[in-house]
Formats: sequence, structure tokens, C-alpha cells
Amino acid sequence: MIPILQLLLRLGCWLLLAPLLPGIINKVKAWVAGRRGPPVLQLYYDLAKLWKKGVVMSTLASPAFVMLPAVAWVAVFGAAMLVPLGPAGAGLSFRGDALLMLYLLALARFCTAWAAMETGSAFEGMGAVREVSYAVLAEAAMVAAVLSLSVQTGSISLVTMLAPSVGACAGLLAAGLFIVLLAENCRVPFDDPNTHLELTMIHEVMVLDHSGPPLAAILHGAAMKLLLFAVVLAQAVLPMDHLRPLGAAGLLAGSVLLVTVAVGLVESLLARFAFRRVPLLLTTAFLLCLFALLVAWKGGMP
Amino acid sequence: MSTGLALLIAAVAMLVGILAGRAAPRVWLVAMLVGVSAAFVAALAVLGGAADWDWRGGFALGGELPHLRLDGLSALFLVLLCVVGGVATVYLREYWPEQEHPRSAGSGRMWWGVMLLCLGLLLLVSNGLHFLIAWELFTLSAYFLITLNRQRREVRAAGWLYLAASHASVLALFAFFTLLAVATGSWDLGPLRDRTELAPLFWLSLFGFGLKAGLFPLHLWLPSAHANAPSHVSAMLSGVTLKMGIYGLLRFSGWLPVPVGAGWVVAVLGVVSAVLGVAFALGQHDLKRLLAYHSVENIGIILIGVGFALVAVEQGDAAWGRLALAGGLLHVWNHGLFKALLFLGAGSVLHATGTREMSRLGGLWRTMPWTAGLFALGAVAISGLPPLNGFVSEWLVFLGLFDATLSRGPSAWAAIPAVILLGVTGALALACFVKVCGVVFLGAARSQAAAHAHECGPAMRGAMLVLAAACVAIGLAPIVFWPAIARATRAWHPGWSGLDPPAPLAALGLAHLALAAVATIAAWGLWRRVRIRGFKRALTWDCGYAAPTARMQYTAGSFAGVITEWFAFILRPERHEHRPDELFPVSASRTEHTPETVLERVVEPVGRIVMRVSRTVRRLQHGRVQSYVFYILVVLAALIAWVFMGGAR
Repeated sequence: MIPILQLLLRLGCWLLLAPLLPGIINKVKAWVAGRRGPPVLQLYYDLAKLWKKGVVMSTLASPAFVMLPAVAWVAVFGAAMLVPLGPAGAGLSFRGDALLMLYLLALARFCTAWAAMETGSAFEGMGAVREVSYAVLAEAAMVAAVLSLSVQTGSISLVTMLAPSVGACAGLLAAGLFIVLLAENCRVPFDDPNTHLELTMIHEVMVLDHSGPPLAAILHGAAMKLLLFAVVLAQAVLPMDHLRPLGAAGLLAGSVLLVTVAVGLVESLLARFAFRRVPLLLTTAFLLCLFALLVAWKGGMP
Repeated sequence: MSTGLALLIAAVAMLVGILAGRAAPRVWLVAMLVGVSAAFVAALAVLGGAADWDWRGGFALGGELPHLRLDGLSALFLVLLCVVGGVATVYLREYWPEQEHPRSAGSGRMWWGVMLLCLGLLLLVSNGLHFLIAWELFTLSAYFLITLNRQRREVRAAGWLYLAASHASVLALFAFFTLLAVATGSWDLGPLRDRTELAPLFWLSLFGFGLKAGLFPLHLWLPSAHANAPSHVSAMLSGVTLKMGIYGLLRFSGWLPVPVGAGWVVAVLGVVSAVLGVAFALGQHDLKRLLAYHSVENIGIILIGVGFALVAVEQGDAAWGRLALAGGLLHVWNHGLFKALLFLGAGSVLHATGTREMSRLGGLWRTMPWTAGLFALGAVAISGLPPLNGFVSEWLVFLGLFDATLSRGPSAWAAIPAVILLGVTGALALACFVKVCGVVFLGAARSQAAAHAHECGPAMRGAMLVLAAACVAIGLAPIVFWPAIARATRAWHPGWSGLDPPAPLAALGLAHLALAAVATIAAWGLWRRVRIRGFKRALTWDCGYAAPTARMQYTAGSFAGVITEWFAFILRPERHEHRPDELFPVSASRTEHTPETVLERVVEPVGRIVMRVSRTVRRLQHGRVQSYVFYILVVLAALIAWVFMGGAR
């Protein structure tokens, strides 16, 4: 009984809470700009509406155009199942699951980029190119971050890696992971989720031709990915293992909220960068994670 | 059935196949399949736990008694040879038939048999002289197979380059085996781990076998040979014969002592090959040439595993070495399977459209759904994505590297950059295969040939299906294949003898299985919902532009543009640009081409200098008797002068 309840709670956390984050970000942006803004639950309404809608497909697209968003969604969901939720632990945990998480996110990227190439559109091709190219740098940063957590805790399993505080390298790691979060979730200053139909976008331009339920899967998957990065960032930096379960859960929820608000503030205060500066910023993120690794290495020396 | 009997049947069947190859294709096919299956059974028996097979002949062959041996390591490679060889044999019947290639089909079948037989022998022989003979025979048969279509000029050029490079490798191996025979007093090979004075020979074997394996920068023969060979031969070259280099390296680093620091060198070469292999692959426009560069990348991943295993042995048999080696060995299988699958897929594209130029293809999924689907599966596997086999082996290598880092020994300083660069390699491979699949199979057809393509026949399709099924099987149930890997690990290093998997492979398999099941259900469910509710077809929404053409799509060159720019320092792409200049520009163009940088910028200039010096020296030798008499006089005068000045004393 208890395991089933736990599983349901976990599913509820990931599936139901995820669409809240974009709503909060939009609310923060509206608040900074002095507008009222869309309701916090706007994405839920959008998802419900899209799920009921019909689909328009490009004449060039194959059935994979509809199937791959579902596969990408499953990949992100699978990655989420590996991430521990504070005191509740992870859905599945084994040695080396951190790498599986990274590669599941890569699988999701492969699927969305493939679906973008289905349409034969120059715009979507451009989005796919940018997505897979900048991901190379983001991947380097994420691998370095995982490595520094691993060096800090002497483990390769997410549950034990994320539980204790990372100590001295917390600041560096937080900064590096936050930049990666912005890049991987297509937020300002890498991408502008507000504008559609612009030459200057990465992710939004890849999904131009999607509609109906597949678009709903993409939007929900993106929200889940944002939550996943926020949860990982929060747990990587904060010590969770000494708190009581309820306190830890509260701390996790609060810090995820804090990250979300921070994303909203960045989005309000910064403009999108020119594309030639994107690699520079991602390289900075990589260097931050690398320095975190060195600090962890030095700090752990006997 | 005993191992020896199975191998005898295999050898006899292969010989029958070779003899029947020219005249009787059906006999050839049956004989080849029987031979391959018999050898497969023998290798599987050894990997499954049967005793090693060792046989000494009582007669002399070339002055030496034949000595054959099948242990865990050679059985691992023999299994790969049998699977890829058997599958490609079936494929070849349909891909290179008598009707289309009356000149070369017969000889193609014969040399195919010779190559399979020699590769098998190479894995079995335990005598230096016979090893060299088998190596040379397989090199030559591969040359004839690469140049089957030798009316074309670039095929002949590729063949010559292959032959020249292979013989540089043979030369190194000749020196290696001769020096070994001189040192031990016999051509017989076997474990000699305590003869530390033999360690420097490792460098010769690294050059010889590394050239065959195609590690960077010794890969220069590889892209053109793989691109210009018929596709079943490319599949074999990339899937199996490159692995012979790995086999040789493993065999002799396991049997002979290795010098201090060898592991570091191998690991660094592996990392360099992995990153630069995929960077060069991104710059290619030719489908098969691109796949060939991915072989360099994957050989790099294998060598990272092997290199860290060597380092671990040097540092007192650290446990992470076993993980790294297991990952490398499993990647030998995995790369063989998915690369053969990809080359066979590329062959079926070439067969259907007549071009390997990616930017002339596009939208092939409509006419070739099987090929597109199976190629996509291979692409996911080679990009190292779960739940397929490529991820399993990369994951094992990663675990080995992580453990090496966590051990906090000096090996960590190599492991940290290796982990990061291996991650980067994975992301680059993903970018590259999104490009390949997107440009070749998706979107709109870019030429008439691509628009009128046709699906390949049942034999070619079946061959690809078998390889795809193997990729899926290793991905979903890696634990089943662990005993084979453990057996080979033990054959390489007796110290690592435990059979239990050191990593939670079972958990990974479970995760893969769950992922595959849920993803299939979700994809099918969503497609069903969309299909039942009905969907509309409309022109691609190109931001309101109502007349999109196929030429507006991203091409192979433009797709890789961002990343090739980052690697321009080593790729040295050649760009030709004609910008639109006037007020009403009439034409504009831009082409980008990545040359064979190592070959064209390093080897060829050196070769030109050698040629220039040689030409200058050659002027001395021209056939005019008067001048020769003059040379003699000059030398005599010089000698007399030398004697008179007291040089003779």
C-alpha cells in the first residue's frame, strides 16, 4: 500500500506540479513589468485545450512527427524518475544513474530535433542546429557538474550525490548549473520563450509545426524538464540529509520556488544575448562547474 | 559437438565456398552460411563457459608447426566476425548481383570468402609467422574487395592508399614478430608476462595495430577506403576488420609485458580519436565518408577503455580497470553491430538513389520506410542513447572513469578530462546523426534520384533487421551478455576473474526495458489518438512563406556549420564564398568542404618533399656512360687524396 501511495505522490509531484513553474515565471515577469499577467495556472488551461484539439501535420512529415514528442516526453519523465525528491528518494536508483539521467535528456533532444527536421523547414532546421550545437557545451558543463558532485560525495548515484551539501564549491556549482538551466530550458538570455516566429530562437522555432496533443506533450515535457533542473540545482547546493522529512520537503519546495523566481527576474532584467555570445556564456558555465570540481577535489583531500 | 569439430566444419565450408564463389553463387551462399554458423557455435561455446580450445598440428607449414587456440578474447571477436560476416553475406547476394556487376560479382564472392576465412584464421593462430601470413592475406583480400568497382578512378586511388597504409602496418608487425621470435627463440605465441625486456615491443604493435584500427592520426587510409568500397565491404571493414587492430593490441598487451606509461598513451590516443573523429565526421557531406569518420570516434571510445585498463594493471590491478575494459570490449561488439547496420543502410540508400552525396538526398522515408527506420535505430545506438546497446558500453566506460577519479590516484588526472570529453563526444555524435537522418531521410527530396528511390529487397532488409535486433537485445538485456565479456576480460588479464558483474547492469537493463515499453506505448497511443481523431495535412508553416522549396532546407554543410566553426583550427575547412554584392544581386553561392586534413596537410606535403629530394638525387642516375666514368674518376681522385693526406692509417 505504502509503495503505491509513494509512487502516486511522486507521479503527482512531477506530472501535476511541473506546469506550475512556467506560470510562476510569467507572473514574476508581469509583476516586475507592472502588468497583471496571465494566471499562474495558464499552462494547465493551455495543455487541456491542446489535448482536445485536432492536429495539422506538414505534408512532408512522417508518423514519427507525432510519435517522437511522446518518446521525448517519456525520456524526460524517465530522467525525472531518477532524480530524488528530497526525503522521498528516487523512483529508481542504482550506481551510475546520474549518467542515465544525462543521456535520457539527450534522447529527448534527439527526438525533438528529429521531429523538427521532419518538416523540411529552414526555420525548424535552424532551431535543430542550434539546439544540438549548444547542447555540446551544456553537456560538458553538466558532466563536469556531475563529476564534481561525485568527487564531493564519493558516489555515482543521484540519491547519495545530491543529499549532502557540496560544501565549498556550492556557489560555483550553483552559478554553473543555473546557467545550464537557463540554456537547456530555453530561457533568456539564450532564447526568448515569449516571441514566436523569430529568427533568433532555439527551442520555440523547433516546435513551430506541432499542434494539438503532440504540442501538449512537448510543452508538458519542457515544464517537467525545468522542474527537473530546478530540483537538481536545489539539492546539489543545499544540505538535505540532516533535516527531518517534512523540513527537507519544505526546503526543497521553497528553493525550487526561489529558482523559478530567479529565472523570472533574469528574464525581466536581461535581454537575449546575440548568438555569437551564447557559446561564451555556456563556456563560462562549463568553467564554473570545472572550478567547482577542482574545489571539491581539493576540499576532499585528506 | 566439440569446438575443434565445429571449427573444422567451418574451415571446410569456407574453402568450399571460396572454390564455388565464382561459378556457383548458391553453393557459395550455403557454404558461407554453414561455415559462419559453425564458427559461431564454436565461439559461443567458449564464451559460454567451455574450456579454451588449443590444437597443435603435427606437420610443418612454412617451416612452422601450426598452433591454433580459441580463448575468451579471440572468441569474443570471432562472434562479431560471424554475426557481421554472415549477415553481410546475405546482404551481398542482393546488393552486388551478377546482373548489375557481371565483371566483379564472381570475384567479389571469392574474395569475400577468402577474407572471412583469413579473419577467422587470424583470430585463431598462435604462431607469429602464421599470424603474419593470415594478416597479409586478409589485407590483400580486403584490397580486392575495396576495388571491386575499379573502373572508377577514386576507387583505385582509395585502394592504393589502403594498400600503402596497410603495408606500413605490416612492416611494423613484421618487425614486431621477428624481434619477438628472436628474443624468445620461437615463433610460437603465448603468455610471456614476466619477460619484462620485451616491453618496448609494445610501441611497434601499437603502431601496426593502431594503423589498422584507424586511430587518429593513423586513420588517413580509412575514410576513402570505407567510402569507396561496396557497402557490404564497408560494413565488414568498419564493423570487423578495424577490430582486428584492437584484437591485436589486446592480444599482445595481454600476453606480453607493456612498458610503463603505455596505458596513458593509449588512453590519450583514444580521447583524441573520439573527439576529432566525430568532429571530422560532422564536416563530411558524403554519407559513407561520414560513417567512416565515426569509426575513428568509436575506436577512440574502445581505446579509452583499453587504455585505462592498462593504467589500472600498472597501478596494481585497480578494480575500475576491469569496468573500463569491459566497456571497451562490449563496445567492440556494439560498434561492430550498429556500424554494420548503418553501412548496410547507407548501401541501400546508395543502391536506391545512386548517390552518397547527402545534400542530393532527402525525404527518403516515404519510399524507403524500412531503411529509414532501421538506420534511425542504428543512429540512436551509435549516439550512445538509452535504451540501446551503445549506451550500455559507454556507460561501463564512464563508470570505470568515474571510479578512477574517485580513487584519487594519479589516474584521476587523466580520467577527469576523459570523462568530460567522452560526454562531449556523445553530444557531438548526437548532433551528427540528427544531421544525417534529417538530411537523408526527412524533409523534401532534393533531387529526382531521391524522389524516385525504392525500398531494398527482402534479403537486404532482413540482414539489417538481424543487426538491429542484436542492438536492441544488448540494450535491453545487457546482463545476458555479461558472462561473455567477463570471459574475455579474464582471458586478457587472469587477475580479473570474477564472473559477477561489477556494475548494476541488471538495474540498467531493467530501466532500459521500462523505458522502451513506456515509450512504445506512449508513441503508439499518441499516434493512435491522432489518427483516429483525424488530422489535416498542410504545407509546412514556414513563417507564412507559401512557396517553400526543397532547396530552402538545411543541408549537410549548413547543419554542421556552427560546430565545424568551433573545430576549424583542426578541420581547416575550405570555403568558397560569392556574396550577393550589387543592388539587385543575380547570384550568390557558398560552398564548404572539409578536406582529409591529416592526409592533405601533413602526409602529402611530406611526401612531396621526399619526392622532390628523390627527383634531385635521381639526376645523378641517367644512363650516360661518360658521366658514370666521370663519377668513378671523381671518387678515385677523392680516395687518392684521402690516402695521401694520411686517412688510411
